[in-house]
Amino acid sequence: MSVAVREPRAVIEQEPVRSRRGIVWQTIRRRPSALFGATVLLGVILAALLAPVVAPYGIHDQVGPVFGHPSWRHPLGLDDGGIDMVSLLMWGARISLVVGFAATFVSMVIGGTVGVAAGYFGGKTDTILMRITDYFLVIPDVPLMIVVAAIWGPSLFHIVIVIGILLWTSTARVIRAQVKSVRERVYVKRARALGAGHARIVLRHVLPQVAPLLIANTVLTIAVAIFDETALAFLGLGDPSRISLGKVIENAFQRAAISTGAWWAIVPPGALVAVIILACSLLGGAIEDALNPRLRVAHLSARTFRLRPLVGRSSDAV
Amino acid sequence: MNKRWLAALVTGCLAAGLAAYAATANGSSASPTAQTGGTFRLGTSSRIDSLNPYVAFNQDAYSMFEYVYPELVQYDKSNRKFVADFATSWKATNGGKTWTFKTRKGAKWTDGKPLSAKDAAWTINTDIKYASGGAANAAGLIAHIKNAKAPNATTLVVTYTKAPGNVLGQFQQFAILPQHVWSKHAGHKGNDLKTFSNNPLVGAGPFKLSKYKKDDIALFQRNGSFYGEKPLVDGFGLRMFSNEDALVSALKTHEIDAIEAVPGTAIKTLKSGFNVRSTAGVDQTDFIINSNPKKKSHRELLNLKVKAAMAHAIDRKQIIRVVFLGYAKPASSIIPASTGAWHNPGVKPESFNLALANKILDQAGFKKGSGGIRVAGGHKMSYDVITPTDVPSVNRTFQILQPDFKKIGIQLRQRALDSTAAFDAITAPNGKYLNFDLAMWDWVALIDPDFMLSVVTCAQYGGWSDSGFCDKGYDSMYSQQQLTPNQAKRKAVVWKMQRYLQAKRPYIWLAQQDAVWAVSKSWAGLVASPQGPFNSINKLSLSRVHRQ
Amino acid sequence: MRGADYVIKRLAFAVLTVFIAVTINFALFRLAPGSAVTNLARVPHATPETRQALKRQFGLDKSKFQQYVIYLQQLAHGNLGISFANSQPVSDNLRTALINSLPMVFLGTLFAIVLGTLTGIVSAWRRGTLTEGATVTTALGFYSMPTHWLGLMLVILFAGVLPTGGMSDEFLVDPSFWTHVQDLAKHIFLPALTLGLVLYGEYTLIVRSAMLETLGEDYILTARAKGLKPWAILRRHALRNALLPIATLVALSLGYIVAGAILIETVFSWPGIGRAVYDAVLQRDYPMLQGAFLLLTCSVVLFNLIADLLYFRLDPRITE
Repeated sequence: MSVAVREPRAVIEQEPVRSRRGIVWQTIRRRPSALFGATVLLGVILAALLAPVVAPYGIHDQVGPVFGHPSWRHPLGLDDGGIDMVSLLMWGARISLVVGFAATFVSMVIGGTVGVAAGYFGGKTDTILMRITDYFLVIPDVPLMIVVAAIWGPSLFHIVIVIGILLWTSTARVIRAQVKSVRERVYVKRARALGAGHARIVLRHVLPQVAPLLIANTVLTIAVAIFDETALAFLGLGDPSRISLGKVIENAFQRAAISTGAWWAIVPPGALVAVIILACSLLGGAIEDALNPRLRVAHLSARTFRLRPLVGRSSDAV
Repeated sequence: MNKRWLAALVTGCLAAGLAAYAATANGSSASPTAQTGGTFRLGTSSRIDSLNPYVAFNQDAYSMFEYVYPELVQYDKSNRKFVADFATSWKATNGGKTWTFKTRKGAKWTDGKPLSAKDAAWTINTDIKYASGGAANAAGLIAHIKNAKAPNATTLVVTYTKAPGNVLGQFQQFAILPQHVWSKHAGHKGNDLKTFSNNPLVGAGPFKLSKYKKDDIALFQRNGSFYGEKPLVDGFGLRMFSNEDALVSALKTHEIDAIEAVPGTAIKTLKSGFNVRSTAGVDQTDFIINSNPKKKSHRELLNLKVKAAMAHAIDRKQIIRVVFLGYAKPASSIIPASTGAWHNPGVKPESFNLALANKILDQAGFKKGSGGIRVAGGHKMSYDVITPTDVPSVNRTFQILQPDFKKIGIQLRQRALDSTAAFDAITAPNGKYLNFDLAMWDWVALIDPDFMLSVVTCAQYGGWSDSGFCDKGYDSMYSQQQLTPNQAKRKAVVWKMQRYLQAKRPYIWLAQQDAVWAVSKSWAGLVASPQGPFNSINKLSLSRVHRQ
Repeated sequence: MRGADYVIKRLAFAVLTVFIAVTINFALFRLAPGSAVTNLARVPHATPETRQALKRQFGLDKSKFQQYVIYLQQLAHGNLGISFANSQPVSDNLRTALINSLPMVFLGTLFAIVLGTLTGIVSAWRRGTLTEGATVTTALGFYSMPTHWLGLMLVILFAGVLPTGGMSDEFLVDPSFWTHVQDLAKHIFLPALTLGLVLYGEYTLIVRSAMLETLGEDYILTARAKGLKPWAILRRHALRNALLPIATLVALSLGYIVAGAILIETVFSWPGIGRAVYDAVLQRDYPMLQGAFLLLTCSVVLFNLIADLLYFRLDPRITE
């Protein structure tokens, strides 16, 4: 025991931390798909952040006829309120990203807590928490979102909460698996032997190890959240006073943009959503791959099923 | 609660000076080039919500009843004069308190049983009996009737307690039901009237219902045993679309032959290739201000200065341009201009003038606080606006109002609710109108002004009222116009009431929408009306439609 | 006995999940603030008598726990209640909607499985080539598109060629069988294609990953070293082993497809189970919503169970 204490802790603890942290950057640098994803995502975030400064027109200003054609002044034409589409896309991306990040944050907090608790404490805590997680996995999420959004009424806050509450399962599973493996590692065992408290061990030893995976998961969850918000908005359950990308699509659809030939009001917002989701998937997937080749088949899906590691799918087999 | 249905509930009487007795059987016939046969396929984004007249809400349902059930009278082609339907002639005696109708001989229901004046008398008496229960939907139509009798198969005698002014207008909306079918469904104090599915539907109109799938399709076939002029087509169908895009596409791909209400954005595209027709309509959008004098919070909204300022912050031109693409007119009165003489032309829309609005609020002492939002009684002038999700024009209109209101220091937040929930929120709690501040909706008016004027009476609390407006002075004018048989004198009262309402502003009227419909070029013969080509005004439109 | 244990455990889990689903379903609709009684007040056209009858039927005058017991009893008798919107039994409404959904979902899924498996295999087999890049990018592209938006794009592309709404031409009076089939085929094409394309992207990625994993195994390397023809390796070794994860994931995803079809059914006005949920929300038809929700959850649980059993049957390594 005393021998172990004198071992150079710095090396044991921090060495793996540094290399794992580096993985995110390395992945982005080395993989073209990750680089592409990161660049696009950054670009969209920048445009959204700068919308108040660089958006050419206001999103309440009618600058031309209803469904005005694309022109030099309005490269993507005008929407059903005669509002410039380029400006709408920038402001819309802003709201969509806010929903994406906020909902992801909610799901990270819930999923992270559940995952860490289940993985770290194991035993009964683990079993119970994972049963709950299993249940959340089989809830048909889109119908539940619709039901809850309908009961609570459409508002941005409700949407964030609903999406967040439904998306945490994948995070919990990933984190739990990682925590479990980290917990068994030599340096954590030693720290525990040294009498370090639970909180300290989780914060100092476990979290840094899990962080990159958390980042990958975050990026993937953002994609799902943005997808879900777009879907809710399309079904008329979006916040009516906030223009998100989903709302832009819905506005145009409600006023018969397609049958009247105003493709420019409906193609670009959807394409932008697709690009954001694509960028997130590429980036998140690449980090995940780099971190854990065995998880490669594990797969976060916007539509049909959420994270499902192929090998040992049931919770007790991970 | 789409207010469209209100159009069907109570309907108009004659414009002043029209001869109520002048009508005879309509004698017009189709043009010689008309081809008979075929099925006319009509598309709508609205719904026939029920086959049961005691339950139905939507205008489409009442338009259907017009074609499948006998009514005593109908309007003529110009929607002005009453002409024969099931009744061929009528006369009033006993100082207007007794009305005698002569009805058609040898008429039959679609199940082969005879249709006679007895059915009419039974329907009227049943509605009187259950007016406060199962037949509440029809209560307005039989108001002041003491009883109805059918001394023989072709005579109907209706006795009134007081001489009313609009007998034929009410009967024009009154569907006569087959006694042999419905009498089995009048149990439980008439409540069974509401639970009867009425499918298969036994009617006696020019068409009979042959297929009905809720939210999907209603198909009608020509009724060979109809007592009146037979339709030219073999049948017609109403396909109900769940979105306007699919509706317009279906017309373009010739899956349907006509759209009864064309979405504004599609008018331009449809003009090439289809016959697009429009006429001034009776559907008006409104901005509702809770005017309940007992309202507890945000009482500044009862201040007429605040209401006036709001009225001057509304850019009707912009709303008409963007939301209705020009197919609407600025609205100003509870009685739309399209109803003709009943509308008071002196009631003009307020000018869009933000400076004036700001001045009014400044003078009233509402100072601007942080963020440029005014403060009233210690709180910000920031309000929720309740909007129903099924009125498509509301969202865009709100997006136009919101920034302009912000410029006068009033913050608006949209609270979108489905129509039932929206109406609940307006009337809460328990029909007392204490909680809500502002709302937006629309009303479909009728040619006779009575019903529209009634919705702001105190008696309509928990009924049709959606503004909480309650004013004794107004209520006495309302009963005054009801019991004024002289139509010119009644008009004077109606005009005064409109002026009064504009000053008190339970509603700020926004736009009077045109009725716009589109028909394939291979069809002709539809008859125009402010309710569009499929309406509950008369049995003409779909009887006359034909291939060309 | 390998397996008996496993199967029992899985079955027990499925039953437990359904029970939890039923309970949450009850809570969601009955305990949520301001739902039950106010919802009854919202029943369209309800007379006071009807309301009273409904109250009795749902046992709203009793305690929450008694209500829960009543709810379970009703469920056990297969009674999902009466739809507020059209006064028909919810189970009948659901059956009709489900029957309408199935052909569209089946065709779309079939398309996705066939195409997705093919492109997945090709992209894994030709790893590192342009082919891989192209197939993966295409798949990811479709995978990233919002479902309803993809549907709308197809509507734009096929405008005027194919009908964009409904399941059949309702104006066809007494069509012959052949006309009816033709008509249905025309209407089903776009929604099924939308579903197919969306799932195809996903399936390609799954199959590719599964194939890559298998192709990296020792026995494949050995087979390659022995000089076996590529096609033979693919067919005899790789594909057979990759089939396991593919089958499992496909079974898993099936459970969610019906739920996910809401967006497609809304775009194309398809009168299926997704539309039923959507309409029920709009009309505040709570019994219908509750029933549909239960059905969807059960279908996911069922397919999960199938996936588990399939997995167990195909993979001899599982002994638990």
